[in-house]
Amino acid sequence: MSSGSIAADRVTKAYGEAPPSVLDLSFQYEGAGAIGFLGPNGAGKTTTLKLLVGLLRPTRGSVRLNGFDPVRDRRRALWDVGALVETPEPYPTLRVHEALDLVGRARGLGTADIDREIDRTHLLLHLPPLDRRVGSLSKGQRQRVVLAAALLGDPPVLLLDEPTSGLDPAERVLVRDVLRRLKRDHLILMSSHQMVEVSEVCDRLLFLDRGRRVLEDDAHAVAERFGAGRVEVEFAAAVDRGRLAPVADLVVEATALSATRWRLRFDPRGLARERLLSACQSVAPVVEFAPGALALEDAYLEVVPTASEST
Amino acid sequence: MGAAGARHAVSDLRAWQIATVHQLRHYGRSYRFLGLVGAVAFVSALTLAFQLDAGVSAVRIAQLDSPSEYLSNFLDYTGLWVVLAAAFFAGDALSVDFSTGAGYYMLVLPFRRPILLAGRYAAAAAVTMAVVGVYYLFGTAGAVYFFGGSGIPWTDLGLSLALAALFALAALSVAFCVSAFFRSPAAGVLVTLLTLYVGFTVLESVVELAGVEPWFSLAYAGGAMAAILDTDFVHLQVIPLGEDQTYTVWSATVSEAVAIMLAYTAVFLPLSGYLYQRKESTG
Repeated sequence: MSSGSIAADRVTKAYGEAPPSVLDLSFQYEGAGAIGFLGPNGAGKTTTLKLLVGLLRPTRGSVRLNGFDPVRDRRRALWDVGALVETPEPYPTLRVHEALDLVGRARGLGTADIDREIDRTHLLLHLPPLDRRVGSLSKGQRQRVVLAAALLGDPPVLLLDEPTSGLDPAERVLVRDVLRRLKRDHLILMSSHQMVEVSEVCDRLLFLDRGRRVLEDDAHAVAERFGAGRVEVEFAAAVDRGRLAPVADLVVEATALSATRWRLRFDPRGLARERLLSACQSVAPVVEFAPGALALEDAYLEVVPTASEST
Repeated sequence: MGAAGARHAVSDLRAWQIATVHQLRHYGRSYRFLGLVGAVAFVSALTLAFQLDAGVSAVRIAQLDSPSEYLSNFLDYTGLWVVLAAAFFAGDALSVDFSTGAGYYMLVLPFRRPILLAGRYAAAAAVTMAVVGVYYLFGTAGAVYFFGGSGIPWTDLGLSLALAALFALAALSVAFCVSAFFRSPAAGVLVTLLTLYVGFTVLESVVELAGVEPWFSLAYAGGAMAAILDTDFVHLQVIPLGEDQTYTVWSATVSEAVAIMLAYTAVFLPLSGYLYQRKESTG
């Protein structure tokens, strides 16, 4: 479905004499899929998203949303875009339904379609009662409402800044599930500090540091590259430490993440992953065998300098 | 996964309607609006209560037996209510997008910013006129009670209300401009109040002392709202202060007032739009 595109051409955003928040950043994404923006605080993730939706003007370079400049032609640039940047706050006096109704009308939906869309997002994201005042919602409830607003009208391009911020673990799982389904036919660009979220949702990763791109690649390739020596295994049945005996000699460390999920650390120089997989399969049927979020964490720590190095 | 219905292009006019209704919903439920309407109703009711206590004949004598004079005196504070409404509804109308998360909700919608501003301006004008309307209702009710319905100068009253509407548009334009300058909503509200009520009034007095007509003052123009109902209106009054000294007081004529109010609107509203368009969400 998605015919959306997101592009930046050598875009720089600077404030006075301070080092630029974003420096010479270029990218172009089209079609469907999810791209993750990763980086420490102050890396330029949110600034880039703000530039993309026209909340900031580039100091140099340009950005395009669906081919249009979001500052000069914001109506066309944002027409097919659902955006959640920073912490959006609908007026506290409005009811949830009214806050969403505004977005539906802005996106050109009729009353019946708006109601249908609100019902759809209500089911999808378990929204609070629609007659509740926005000002009376908890942080998590409000976050789900503004996420619903971004999805309303089913825009093909989604720009999401920390979409699960403020949500409890169950809500995060819910949102991740929604994003995984959406990315099949939507173009999603999201920033996050949650490696699990990024590893589960994103197909491609862009690591930023001090406004510069430090690494960009397919998520799988990044995981392969940085995840050598670590793997997360999901068994079809519960496995306790005693049942892991067949792999005990092959791994340096085994950590239980849940009754069925284990994180295994091994020496990649002396052991092929295939051999470890075979050993795991002799324990119990294996549902998933992947570098997992930890590999991204390794990648993050390797390519992005620590806070003390950054300052 | 999505199942949205057909989407239709949203014209600027339609976008303006949507933004206006959205803003009206917000203003209509805000404590500011309810408080201001409550205050204007309370003060007006109190005034009427004192007059009722004084009795019909006493009021008629005090008001030169003229419903027009009565209305002119009763509605003398229209400017104050308009300025309060302008400060409360427009003093932070634009800064709210850059100081709270409201902008992250509104400014990512496919609306041009000047259209968004126009919607907020229309909504602010509507609620301001609702406040003024309550004030005029009390004034008119008092005039009908004390002087009977037949003597009410309906045409002049209508003109006075029209001037109040123009004054509201001008005051809101200044307030929108102030709100585009400041990041803090509280600062915008305060500066609007100080500028429109204290600043203009002080400036007006100072230039009058120097013998200059304060033709540049919005507060001066606002005087015409009540003056149009005044039975002994004079544009220029020279008051002797002693030997060889006089103090000249000017009152704006209707045409002067209209010109000043339109000029303020014509200058400050587009300026607000320009500033709002340029403003960035840097927080």
